[in-house]
Amino acid sequence: MSAIDASVEMRPKLVGQRIKRTEDPRLLTGSGRYVDDIAPAGLLHLAVMRSDHPHARIRAINVGEAFAIPGVVAIFDAGDIKGDFRSAVPTSRMKGYYATPIRPLAEGKVRYVGEPMIAVVAESRYAAEDALEHISVDYEPLPFAIRQVDAVADDAPLLHDEAGTNVIIAREFARGDVEKVLADAAVVVKGRFRMTRKTPMPMEGRSYLAEWDRRRQALTLHSSTNIPGIIRDVLSGCLDLPGNRMRVVAPDVGGSFGGKGSLNHEEMLVCVLARKLERPVKFVADRMEDLTAMSQAFDELIEAELAVDADGRLLGLKADVIGDIGAYSIYPWTGALEPVQVVSFLPGPYRIEHYRGRVRGVLTPKPPTGPYRGVGRPSSTFAMERLIEMAARKLGMDPVEIRRRNLVRAEEFPYRTGSGIIWDRSAFQECLEGACDLADYPALLRARDAARAEGRWVGIGLASYAELTGIGSRIAVAPGMPINTGTETSTIRIDATGAVTAAFGISSHGQGLETTLAQVVADELGCRMEDVEIQHGDSALVPMGTGTYASRSAVLGGGAATKTARVVKAKVLKAAAYLMAVPIEDLVAEGGVIRASSSNATMTFKELAHAVYAQMGRIPHDQREDLVASETYDPYLGTACSSTHLAMVEIDPGTYGVTVTRFVVAEDCGRIINPLIVDGQVHGAVAQGIGAALLEEVVHDADGQLLTASLADYLVPVATNVPDIGIVHIEAELPNNIGGFRGMGEGGTIGAPAAIANAVSDALSHLGVEVDTLPVTPERIFRMVEDARTIRKA
Amino acid sequence: MKPARFDYVRAESIAHAVEVLADAGGDGKVLAGGQSLMPMMNFRLVKPSVLVDINHIAELDRIEHRGDRLHVGALVRHRMTAEDALVVRHIPVLHHAMKHVAHLTVRNRGTFCGSVCHADPAAEMPMMTVLLDGTIHTASPRGSRALPARDFFVGSLVTALEPDEMATSIEIAVPAEGSGWGFEEFARRHGDYALAAIAVLMERRDGQARNVRVAMMGVGDTPLRLLDVEAALEGREVTRAALDEAIEALKMSIDPNSDLNASSDYRRHLAAVLARRALGDAWSRTRQTSVEIAA
Repeated sequence: MSAIDASVEMRPKLVGQRIKRTEDPRLLTGSGRYVDDIAPAGLLHLAVMRSDHPHARIRAINVGEAFAIPGVVAIFDAGDIKGDFRSAVPTSRMKGYYATPIRPLAEGKVRYVGEPMIAVVAESRYAAEDALEHISVDYEPLPFAIRQVDAVADDAPLLHDEAGTNVIIAREFARGDVEKVLADAAVVVKGRFRMTRKTPMPMEGRSYLAEWDRRRQALTLHSSTNIPGIIRDVLSGCLDLPGNRMRVVAPDVGGSFGGKGSLNHEEMLVCVLARKLERPVKFVADRMEDLTAMSQAFDELIEAELAVDADGRLLGLKADVIGDIGAYSIYPWTGALEPVQVVSFLPGPYRIEHYRGRVRGVLTPKPPTGPYRGVGRPSSTFAMERLIEMAARKLGMDPVEIRRRNLVRAEEFPYRTGSGIIWDRSAFQECLEGACDLADYPALLRARDAARAEGRWVGIGLASYAELTGIGSRIAVAPGMPINTGTETSTIRIDATGAVTAAFGISSHGQGLETTLAQVVADELGCRMEDVEIQHGDSALVPMGTGTYASRSAVLGGGAATKTARVVKAKVLKAAAYLMAVPIEDLVAEGGVIRASSSNATMTFKELAHAVYAQMGRIPHDQREDLVASETYDPYLGTACSSTHLAMVEIDPGTYGVTVTRFVVAEDCGRIINPLIVDGQVHGAVAQGIGAALLEEVVHDADGQLLTASLADYLVPVATNVPDIGIVHIEAELPNNIGGFRGMGEGGTIGAPAAIANAVSDALSHLGVEVDTLPVTPERIFRMVEDARTIRKA
Repeated sequence: MKPARFDYVRAESIAHAVEVLADAGGDGKVLAGGQSLMPMMNFRLVKPSVLVDINHIAELDRIEHRGDRLHVGALVRHRMTAEDALVVRHIPVLHHAMKHVAHLTVRNRGTFCGSVCHADPAAEMPMMTVLLDGTIHTASPRGSRALPARDFFVGSLVTALEPDEMATSIEIAVPAEGSGWGFEEFARRHGDYALAAIAVLMERRDGQARNVRVAMMGVGDTPLRLLDVEAALEGREVTRAALDEAIEALKMSIDPNSDLNASSDYRRHLAAVLARRALGDAWSRTRQTSVEIAA
């Protein structure tokens, strides 16, 4: 890696330091500014009437006395706004795919409980909700298949007649001859794994505020999105407004976890209504609305088989996956994002020659699935890591040893998986060893066995995985998706006061990117961190930017920052060399001061900026340059981020309550910009993974009704569910990108569910029970234990 | 998630509160801690025409010891009950149960009486009121009355309170000196509504369990007193065999519902597991009475 020049290496760097997040003082003292904090004059509030049928034709809508409620301004259904926008279409080059059009309000029929149907605009949200109570809808219920196994059937009722099928996505990855390997293998293990549906659950609900500027004929959308650039681009088309009159701003955003990373109905709706009514319109989802209608996650059924030889070597893997994608294909990622990633990543970080993975994505009357921290890989890792431990158990082999034998080794990189993913060199083996060392695995085994001797149900589980992060333009983040997710642009300027402003197309929503990117910029420029302001989350900042998702922002944003800062720095040094009358090679910038090594001459960035901008003639007019630059970075390929998680659990043999007693993560995220932030990301993601493993499940009943519409029923992890998490960072070899960074914001959610599933299975091993469904709740353990005991008795 | 329109009245006295409730014609709701009422109003599950705020009525905010009974006023917060010196010393089972009532912030506002009047079948205080032989004192335009706990809980979220009637205090029994207690609860997360919970009191005389009281929740529409379980242990030494019989009696006396978190079968299993632990704990916590020691 030649891009890191020696002069930067020499001085104490900000990159690598545990620097406290510069965002936190404002967020922790209530000075943050979220969409709901913005209240322009004349603001109107939107409440949405949602479908209470999973599949029905809308026969008639009766608004009753709704207009009699004081403060109610307007009520719209799909017909009332038909001419005011064009549908968003989540296109893809995938064969046989059908792109369901996305509209702000359901047109003609509804396709899931919670789908927006009628908009009420009023002077207050109270009045708007009062009006909702007066509106009634005459539905003609239509048949539907709520379960994915039913929805794929040839004679299943169709959700989108135009598609001609419910199966709108089908992909297959294959290498070698998996059937033969399965037939011949010494050991074959198989399972039918189910990662149930989740909801991303950010603290802040989805919030949108649209303001129409009649003078400029321009629209500004303040949105709690993490993809402002993508939203700007699509709405520009939907609303027929050029990008200079369509701006999307994401102010402080209280988390997304993927749920704010797609185009939302209500996001389109406020824009349409603000332009129509020529007044600002705001929508803030309440918790029930987010639980009901925010994009959801996972919901795959994975039938998988693994062939292993007598020495524990993995030979072949076969999987059939049905992804329940919900009622619509989401924009821009499409419904393929989640299920296709399951079969792309199923072979994991292992050497497996023969592979065949098939996936179908099927429409069902539920909210669409979309991005969720980890995308696809929490499910694929769960299935694969369960199979590995099932094989180890069958062979009587230690679960660490079987992984050691199969994880791709240092000399085998770059390694191409059976699905075509190329792993660049990352610390696959080292993470396994690192996690075992940190946890003191042999001691843990002894502790487990001692506890078992007392009749306690204690288990240990591991999960190793790799994810592709910081992906450049060679492959789209979602399969066949025609938008560019492979570049990021940074614009850096030093202004007349010497202050540095660095603007990006990314959109930090809790990742601390204002801190980490300032570290990168300050290091590269040689200025002080406090002189740097990072701007992000605004489509007007750079010509094109997509946002923060897919573990890309440190790699792509950091790369763009580095490239741009180097150009600006060259301009700084050129000007300084002239002003200080020394050769450019003699100059070093550090801490905001430019020093000449050959003399005692110094000049601050402030003095330099003043000379460049404010003092006419200090620099000859034909040599003078503004201290600005804008560069775009494209890492082209992605880079592997790898990790091993190790969990220890104890199950109460009476209540079947599961307690996670130990948790250790070893991970390789390349060069670490800020270990404090990396640790925080790991802690948070592991907590989220514990939720997926033990607690969280979106449940729709046979009638398509949502049973988990409040936080009393959709259980997220709380402090008492999360143990201390031990973390060891392993920096093996830096990836071949500008900063040497790997993306790491998602990983914890990928490893934790699998590790816990394995630990629970280990704790239940005396009953011969294997966990195949997450979350593994007390009820599910009860049923597994009862079944095992019944079989044993028989 | 905004409440429907309602009027608000700050009651100056119990008489005033009752008068406002009566005027509301059945549409009034009493606001004490608001920890259950406010979410229900925001969900528009309840839409009172008037909210009667009793937080400024002076005489309701105390716990009084009268004879072998504690009187808990309608404004006594969970936290205050939990930390009350009399409760800590004389009713450890109540002190312990309080740790399972939601979270600290909820316990700071929520009230004992409010929880009992809300009558959630998976809430602790209704069960503790049944266990501790509670009596609910009420006021209405027709005067005051005292309702024994066994008659108070009618169904899930339904009590014997009339629409124009409010609870003013709840009196509970202080267990006899030397009583043993047991409390077991299982919830998906700490502080959640329980999948099942059980509370037990018993004394030990002559090596035998006496005055056994067993209450359970989460396994029916109301908190239950399990008379058959009590009878299985009353007058016996609590041996493994006796416990087995008690558990059999328990299984016969409950018919739990299935819901999102637990099937009927699992709840029955859970009830048995918790009961065995709580009954055993109660027995081991009993102290021999002085009579027996003298003998």
